[in-house]
This record gives sequence, C-alpha cells and structure tokens, in this order.
Amino acid sequence: MRLILVDRLTDKRLNFYPLALCRPIWELRCGMSSLVEKMITRTGAADVACFVPPYMAEVYRAKTNNPVNDASTFAGDDLFVVDAKVKAAELDIDPTGPSLVATDSDGQVLLARITKDDLSKLKTDSLDVLLESAKAQLPSADGQIAAWNYTWDLVLANPKQLVEDFKAAGRSGVEGAVEEPKAIRGSKQDIYIAPGVLVHPMVVLDAAEGPIYIDEGAEIHPFTRIEGPCYVGKKSILLGAKCREGNSIGPVCRIGGEIEESIIQGYSNKYHDGFLGHAYVGEWVNLGALTTNSDLKNDYSDVSVVLDGKKPIGTGSTKVGSLIGDHTKTSIGTLFNTGAYVGAMTLIAATGKPLPKYIPSFAWFLEGVVTKGFGKKMLYKTAKTAMPRRGCQWTEADETMWDEIFEMTKPVRMDAIKKGRRTLAAGRA
Amino acid sequence: MDKNEVQQRVVKVICQVLSVDEEMVKPDSHFVFDLGAESTQSVELVAAFEGEFDIDMDEDAALEVQTVGNAVDFITKCLK
Repeated sequence: MRLILVDRLTDKRLNFYPLALCRPIWELRCGMSSLVEKMITRTGAADVACFVPPYMAEVYRAKTNNPVNDASTFAGDDLFVVDAKVKAAELDIDPTGPSLVATDSDGQVLLARITKDDLSKLKTDSLDVLLESAKAQLPSADGQIAAWNYTWDLVLANPKQLVEDFKAAGRSGVEGAVEEPKAIRGSKQDIYIAPGVLVHPMVVLDAAEGPIYIDEGAEIHPFTRIEGPCYVGKKSILLGAKCREGNSIGPVCRIGGEIEESIIQGYSNKYHDGFLGHAYVGEWVNLGALTTNSDLKNDYSDVSVVLDGKKPIGTGSTKVGSLIGDHTKTSIGTLFNTGAYVGAMTLIAATGKPLPKYIPSFAWFLEGVVTKGFGKKMLYKTAKTAMPRRGCQWTEADETMWDEIFEMTKPVRMDAIKKGRRTLAAGRA
Repeated sequence: MDKNEVQQRVVKVICQVLSVDEEMVKPDSHFVFDLGAESTQSVELVAAFEGEFDIDMDEDAALEVQTVGNAVDFITKCLK
C-alpha cells in the first residue's frame, strides 16, 4: 500500500492560512507531532508520496524524502489517498481493502482507497483527473470522514492531543540532566526528559494535570515553570518562561514570558515577557518584548477570526488567540486583538493600541496603518540574515515561492494599503 | 498635470508629513539629511504621495528616491 497525501489548492486551504501559505497543511502540528506523522503512524505506511500546491513543490521537495507532485507514484501498488485535512486519530477506514471513495459536503475527495486492479480502470494523468475518476467510478464509503476545518481546531485540540501523544510515545523518566534544586509535581511517570536535555536549577516541572515531554537537546533555564500537558521540541530554549498548560513548542525556539495552550511551529523567538495564549505561530517569527495577544473577550462571547480580510468567521470558542504567519516580526509592545490574523512576512511597529484583527501578508504596519513599507526585498533580506543564525539557508526556491505568495495575497493587501493611505491623509488634514 | 503642479503638491505633502516649513523644501533637499525624515516617515511619504496623486509606486524604486527633485521627477513619470 502506498499512502498518497493530498493538499490541493482549493478554497478550503484559506482556512489554514497564514500557516499553510508556505507549507502543506499536514506539516501543521497538534500535540507532540505533525499531522503527517500522525497519519503515517495511523496507516503504517512505509511508502508515501505527496501532492502539494505547485508553487510550494520545490521548497517542499527539499524538506521531505518522499516524492512530491509525481504522477508516476500512482502506478505499481494499491493506493490510500488521503486529504491533508483528514483526522488520523478518527480515521476508521483501513488503508487496505476493496476500493472506495469518501467526499466532504462540497464533493471534494477526502479519501480514496484504490486497489491496483481498479487503478487500471481509472484515469491517472494527474492527481485531479485521478480523484475525479475515482469519485465517478468507485463506490462511496459509509459514514463521514472527520476532518480539521480551521487552524484554531488544532490549537483547541492541542491539550488533549498532547496527553494522547505522550501515552503513545510510551516514554518516561530522565535521560538528560536535571540540576538541583529541582521541583517536580505530579508523577515522575508523566515526565520524559530526553538525552541531551539540560534543565537548570530552580525549574518547576508540574505534571500534576498532564504530562511533560522535553525533547533532545532542549535547555530549560532557571525560574521556568512548565505545566503539563506540554511538549518542548528539540533544541528549544525556555528562558524563565511561565509555560502554562497545553503548549506545543516546535524545534529550535526561544521562549520566555507567559505562554498558554499555544502551538509554535518551530525556529521562532518569543524571548521576552508578554502573553501568548491559544495562538498558532509559524516559523522564523520574532515577537518583540511585551508582545501580547488577547485570547478572551471581555464579554466572554465566542471569538471570531477574519481569514480573508473581509468576513468574520465564528470559531465557536470563547478562547482563540492569534494566528501568526511565518517570518513575521513584531516590535516591542505589540498588542494583538482576540482572534487576530497576522499574515506571513509581515512587519509590525506597534503604536501602543490594539492592532486590527486582520493584517495581510507582506504588510508593513506602521503609524497604525498597513503600508507597503520597504517592500518584500527588505523582508527577504531579513530572512536571509535570520535563517543562518539557526543553521538554515534562504534559497532561490524560497524566494520564488514567497514571490508567488506575494502575488496571491496582493488583492487584500492592496485594499488595506489604500485604506491606510486614506487614514494617513485624514490624519494630516 | 504639469511638472510645476506636481512640485507644488509634492512640497505640500512633504511639509505635512515631515512637519517642516515650506521654505526648507528645495528641489535638491535630501529627505534624510536636510529634512530629517526617519525611516518610517519615508514609508509614510510614499503612502502620502500615492494618496495625493492616486498612483501606485513600486516600493523598491520609490525608496531609491533621495531628494525632493527626484520625487517630483519620479511622480511625474508615474503620472504619464
């Protein structure tokens, strides 16, 4: 059986922006691992092929060992085709068995199980052709396939997923170094400290309400308090952080201040004081000192999020913080509103007031309005400087991909820039 | 719009954004060294010129503009 992972450029991709602007949806995290790791574990697949939006294919090829956007992977084996949004944990269809197909309410294929024999009866010129052919010719699966609908679904599911992932990992105990004096609450069975981890003196590990997993090479500085459930990724550093329950911190992050029920993809800095709650932060983000997000409205009503710059979408939750895209930088004292959408490659110079709920990608937010700022080349220059500091490189493929994202996100950004010009003009009048 | 009118409106915008007197603004005035423009004010100037003249300026090219005279030439070209 070959697992074919599918992330098509459909309208529903927008629901995972700004995080999925530069990566397949299955690379997003929930709990201790990414969605793709969960799907591979669930299906037991040893042979995996990926189909991603064409503009990100070259960048993704450099990050995976699996073939990307290669239609020749349809041949030679039974296929288990799964959309990126399918929830692995709730998938109750076996990867092997007779052919069938399952769609969502819009008729988009979420899953197709195709035997080698049936494959010969289908059209396989491209992924889209294969899926349409499968939908037309294969029997429908019974029941509905559970799927992630929005990025905040991952954030809201994170605490429970952390507990399940810790249990599934089956590890506990201390393989790294924990310096005295230490303070551990709860059962030691609910703590795992991987080899190469250094926990400094005066650190509190509170596993009374959930497990704590600190991955290889991480370093926890004095006066940090980690409340479980929590996952700290490889080579991340916590600096006196007040790390409340339900956090997933990806690899190579620098985290200080207060953080609660949030997911940080990796390679991002929140070095200083300031509160981050119920947020999802991309890679190469730098949150300046005292950057804070609201995750609860004063009237305790459900939080809404604007994903397209126009229409608010109800989250059905009273707690949703910020969604912050890759390579975004905030100045000291930045205040994000409840359920804020902060695009990728955005630069924010705070004015002291809470920011608008929607800030488009590649925006320079200055003087309280969205401007063109110094343009995308300056943002690329910053990325070229930041990435080697963590052992990574900005490539030509990155630049090509981000150029595409710049164009994709241009209409909504231009609307905001024009509004900004009017606001500035009114301020001068 | 002729170049003179462009120049008058450019000077008006500069005075508003940078809070300087009109007599300080000469064609060879450098935005940073003579008129004291901070980096964020440079961005605000571009936005203000775009609003004033209803044009869309390429940010990389616009930020190469160093003097008032350069700005007048740049905007005159954009208007064509």
